[in-house]
Amino acid sequence: MSVIKVSNLSKTFKVKLKEKGLKGSLKSLVKPKYKIIKAVNNISFEVEKGEIIAFIGPNGAGKSTSIKMMTSILFPDKGSIDILGLDPVKDRKKLAYEIGCVFGQKEQLWTHLTPYDNFKFFGAIYDIPNSKVEKKINELRELFELDEFINTPVRNLSLGQRIRCEIVASLIHEPKILFLDEPTIGLDPVVKENIRSLIKRMNKEYKTTVVLTSHDVGDIEKLCKRVIIVNKGQIVLDDTMENLKYHYLNKKIVEAKMNTQVNLDDEEGITILKDKGYNLKIEVDTKKKSVSDAIKLLNPDNIVDINITNIPLEDIISDIYKDGDK
Amino acid sequence: MRKYLYILKSEIMTNLQYTFDLIIGFAGYIIHIFIFLNLWQYIYSDPNELINGYNMNQMIWYVIITEIIWTAVSGRALSKKISADVKSGNIAYNINKPYNYVEYSLFNHLGGTTVRFILISIIGLLLGFVFLHGFPPLNILQILAVLLSSIFALLISTLLIMALGLFAFFVEDASPFYWIYSKFILVIGTLFPVEFFPQVLQPIIKFSPIYAVSYGPAKLFVNFSMNEFICIMISQVAYLIISFIICHLIYKKGVRKLNVNGG
Repeated sequence: MSVIKVSNLSKTFKVKLKEKGLKGSLKSLVKPKYKIIKAVNNISFEVEKGEIIAFIGPNGAGKSTSIKMMTSILFPDKGSIDILGLDPVKDRKKLAYEIGCVFGQKEQLWTHLTPYDNFKFFGAIYDIPNSKVEKKINELRELFELDEFINTPVRNLSLGQRIRCEIVASLIHEPKILFLDEPTIGLDPVVKENIRSLIKRMNKEYKTTVVLTSHDVGDIEKLCKRVIIVNKGQIVLDDTMENLKYHYLNKKIVEAKMNTQVNLDDEEGITILKDKGYNLKIEVDTKKKSVSDAIKLLNPDNIVDINITNIPLEDIISDIYKDGDK
Repeated sequence: MRKYLYILKSEIMTNLQYTFDLIIGFAGYIIHIFIFLNLWQYIYSDPNELINGYNMNQMIWYVIITEIIWTAVSGRALSKKISADVKSGNIAYNINKPYNYVEYSLFNHLGGTTVRFILISIIGLLLGFVFLHGFPPLNILQILAVLLSSIFALLISTLLIMALGLFAFFVEDASPFYWIYSKFILVIGTLFPVEFFPQVLQPIIKFSPIYAVSYGPAKLFVNFSMNEFICIMISQVAYLIISFIICHLIYKKGVRKLNVNGG
């Protein structure tokens, strides 16, 4: 059953243009010029219940705008959104009870209050009876390991602790869908890992659908089974993680350490990335040349050490971004 | 309604963490009162003399009460916060919560106003009592009436200033509106009662919001009359409804043209 249905969604922004200098300022005062920016351009997709889906793209690709339209913060110009059978434009208040949002770059907690008071506050806002809030807080504080700082004012928490509290605050009303806009931004690797596993655990426990945007490939790789890549307001790829890897994994990186110098030239299916005499790094396109053929070119007898790896997901994604730019 | 009371409660909790800072912030209030204490003592050659129907003590009490309301509302911070919310796009993150931004901001701000109002009333009444040797004669019911009209005044003042802040939806900088409003209130509402202005202006002032947010409670405190109380109540209820509707209208219109870029 799909919980999110987006079809032909578009959103444009009108941006005031100003020529440089004082003269430009005066000019724009008299006759302002506007530029139309298509932030989101005709995108469609569906999300199933319980899925964790990544929404990724370079800065300004339109992913945050899309999320904001799905969470009824912005109104779309064209197209329709159906979230749990509700229209974010018309049923804003109803929808608010069904979804939770965390914007990594915006605080929604009250910084002078403790996380506990904050959770009670969110409970009251979502009209949840007191006893139920109490139960929910206890449940979530265990799941998200908040015991240490649940009574420390939010302003004194570290960023990692705060994000954990932000996520908990958005879960108090048991939303069916959770939107996470860059939840791990600015966090160190250990905390990132911790937050990822918590999100995963939450998804398992409550079957919450998660829509996530991130620039961190680790987030996507570890959390999501499906990924939608947007660029310039359009979807350039909507596929499972496995397919994404599989499609782009016909390229392998071969790093070899040799005991004699080899002179290798670029040829069909082989690109030399680095050649320092004894140390070589080549990219093999397995569609055109098998890895074993590539190794034969190197002369296997002279190989001291060899390492064959996939192209990092990060590179794959930035390749896709660049393709979109062309 | 429970949620809004909870917002109020949370904001009171926040403010109570900073009572000391709040009290320090009242220094300006105390200085104001001292200036007017001296000024009116200088102007009145005889404290029992009446100027436009006010004796010296009444005049000073008038300023004490109007200043309590003005300081408790702390309008500059409010209008700044609202326009910053609009400009930064922060307001957007309140849209997808199950409350209305106008009511949210109102109750949020009232939390601080409540704490400030209580603290500054204590200071103001104490100052008046010490320097003027006693309170104006009021019975319990009249005190409750003054309190009621003060609460109305706080509510209306907050809503009006919110409306000014919400203008940020349509103009680059909404602070000039607040500036003009605050000067009007200072001169027409806070320092001098309506009776001090020329006859032609008086009816205009009586129909303006200044009568509801400033003059009303102070006039009742210094010289209570049932007639005046009824007039003030009518004006306050009307302005409460009007300012509430204005805030909602501006917000409703503004939100539609909201742009939130980046992030």
